[in-house]
Order: sequence, then structure tokens, then C-alpha cells
Amino acid sequence: MEEKKVNSFLDKLKEKAKSQSHYGGDSEITEAKMQLKDCPNCGAGRAKQDGLTHCAYCGFEFLSVKLTDGVYIKKEDNSL
Amino acid sequence: MFGLFNKKQKQHQEALPEWHSELGESQQRWFTFLEKLEAKMEEFAAAAIPELKQLLQEDDDLYKRTFHRVYSGVNGQIQNIRNKARDTYEEKIIDVYHYYSSQISVLSPYHNLVSDFRNVCSDRYNDFEDKSEYWRNEIEKTQERDLEIEYQKILSEFEAVKNKFNCTQCGGGLTIDRIFLIETYISCPYCKTQNTFSPSTQARNLQNIARNLAEQRTAHLKKDFEVENSKERELYHQIHELELSKIHQSDKKILSEIQSKIADLEEQRQSAIQNAPKLHQHYLRAMYDEWNKITPDLKEHNEKMYQNQLRYL
Repeated sequence: MEEKKVNSFLDKLKEKAKSQSHYGGDSEITEAKMQLKDCPNCGAGRAKQDGLTHCAYCGFEFLSVKLTDGVYIKKEDNSL
Repeated sequence: MFGLFNKKQKQHQEALPEWHSELGESQQRWFTFLEKLEAKMEEFAAAAIPELKQLLQEDDDLYKRTFHRVYSGVNGQIQNIRNKARDTYEEKIIDVYHYYSSQISVLSPYHNLVSDFRNVCSDRYNDFEDKSEYWRNEIEKTQERDLEIEYQKILSEFEAVKNKFNCTQCGGGLTIDRIFLIETYISCPYCKTQNTFSPSTQARNLQNIARNLAEQRTAHLKKDFEVENSKERELYHQIHELELSKIHQSDKKILSEIQSKIADLEEQRQSAIQNAPKLHQHYLRAMYDEWNKITPDLKEHNEKMYQNQLRYL
């Protein structure tokens, strides 16, 4: 009797946990990928030495922030 | 003379006061109550542990959120049992103790019966708490998973993708030189175009498991530290016992033996006090080194954390 009670409590708990939706939505599993963003204004590619924030040819603004030193991006990556 | 010394004996012969049996009953009820709670807790935990382990295996969510919901539920149930015991202890034992100790004069020869009642009940309550702590730890262990397996998966995935990509602009081969944790620019060695590389969900998850994996690898050092750290209290208590045994000892030879034992234990205690922080630092250094090896990109940040932690050793 007692054992039945414990199991039914656990089953209920499990069922409820499974039916609840995850806070923040389901996790999405994605594969590694490579993308490229050309300048939408003039179609020019972005080269590292020209900086990341502006298009080297037409001055289109890719990023409106001034970059600071981070893990992968450094402040030298700002366009001049 | 005057029967002065018979007084104590006479009082003991008198019948114990009425409330003594009441306390006895309360004590008995308390013991039975805790036994029932313990049985309930054990039964529940023993049933929940295999279920939790299985759930962790089956949960395909990246963050194992279904498992954690059930885990919280199980812990909450155990906590409810504990709260019940604590509330009852306060109401039926402590309140009763205060009531009687305010009623009965400290000069009364029966006053110690009230303290005895409280001590016996508290000891029993502590046993109960120890048992619930044991079950809480057992339940906590169900969260453990072998992170080496997950790390190996990430490594082999990295091996598979590191030369897989080509520049989207010119088609030249790109090399991904390390496990990136967030989106990053990879520049093409031929046309210098910035390609945006998005790591897979699995690779991104490396930063979430890195610390736990490092802790898993250095667990033996942590254990060494914990053993050393707990020595100080153990030795202190041993010394305390010996100090107490000196009180009624008049034999000088035995006294000097006890004294030398105390000195010996004190020496061990002092060395434990000295050693524990050293072992702690040794563990932390090893753990952070391991962590930095797993995610070298976060080294700078981790080192700041390490330096900060050192200040609180």
C-alpha cells in the first residue's frame, strides 16, 4: 500500500515534469556552420584588414557599436 | 549527625513527580514519530534514486531540464519531511522544555530530568537530521554524469568539422584552429574575407561543462583537502575529551601521560591548521589549470576568478 503511494507520487511528478514546457523554450540543437555577410549596400565582401564595423568601399555600417577587447574580437577590428 | 547527609537519599526515594511520566510519553511519541518519518523518507528516496538516474539518461534536453524538475520535486518532498520534523521538534520538545524549566526551580533535584528530556530528544533529532543529510547527498549524486564522455564527443565533433568549411566568397579551404564557444569571424587566408563561423550547440556547451569536468578530474585533490580540513575539529574534540578526563584524575603518572598525549594531538592539530589551506590552494590551482586546458579562451577570465578565490582561503 505504502509503496504504491510512493510510486504513484513519483509517477505523477515525472508526468508533470515531462508535460511542462521548458522555461525559455525548447533547446535547439544546431550543427556548426559558416556564413558570410556581403555589404548589402554595394555587394563588396568584408576583409579583415578593413575592419568589421563599416564597409571599406561604401562606408555602410555593419555594426553601430565601437568594438572593445573581447575573447575573439579585439579593438583593432574597428574600421578606421 | 542531625541526619543532614540523609537528605539527598531521602529525596531520591520520593516518588518521581507527575510530569515526569508526561515527559516520558512525549519522548516516546517523538521517537515513534521520527522513526515513521525516517521510514517514509528512506522509502521515498530509495524509490526516487533509480528513477532519477534513469531520467537523466533518457532526458534529451540539452540542459536536462525535465530531470531537474523531477529532481527539485524529490528534494522538495525530502525537505517537507524535514520541515515537519523541525516544526514538531520546536512545538513538542523545545516549547515543552521551556515550559517545564520555567515551572521547576533549578534548585529542585528533578530539574535535571527536564534537561535530560531535552537532551535525549535533541540527540534523536540530530540522528534524524544526519539520516536526511545522507539521503540528500545520495539524491544529489544522481546528477553526476560522466563528463569525459561528453567532452570526447565535443572533441571528435571538432576533429570532424575543423577542415570541413570553405570560404563562402572564394571557396578556399578554411581551418578552424580551436573549439570556439561563440560565433566568431574566420578570415579566409586567400581572399581575406571575414566568414562568420557558428559553432554547433554541442561545442558551445563546452563552456558549461568545462568547470565541472575540471572538478571531476581533480576530485582526488579536493578530497585530500577536505580530509585535512576536517582533522582540526576531530583532534580538537579528542583533546577536549582528554582534558575532561584530567579533572578527576589525581595519579600523577597518568596525568603526565594524558598531558603528553594532549601535546602530541595539539601538534598534529597545528600541522593540520597549517596544511589545510595549502592543500586547498593546491587543489584550486590544479582545478583551474585543468579548466584552462579545456577552455583556453577563457583563461584570462578564470585567472581573475582564481586570484579572487585565493583571497578567501
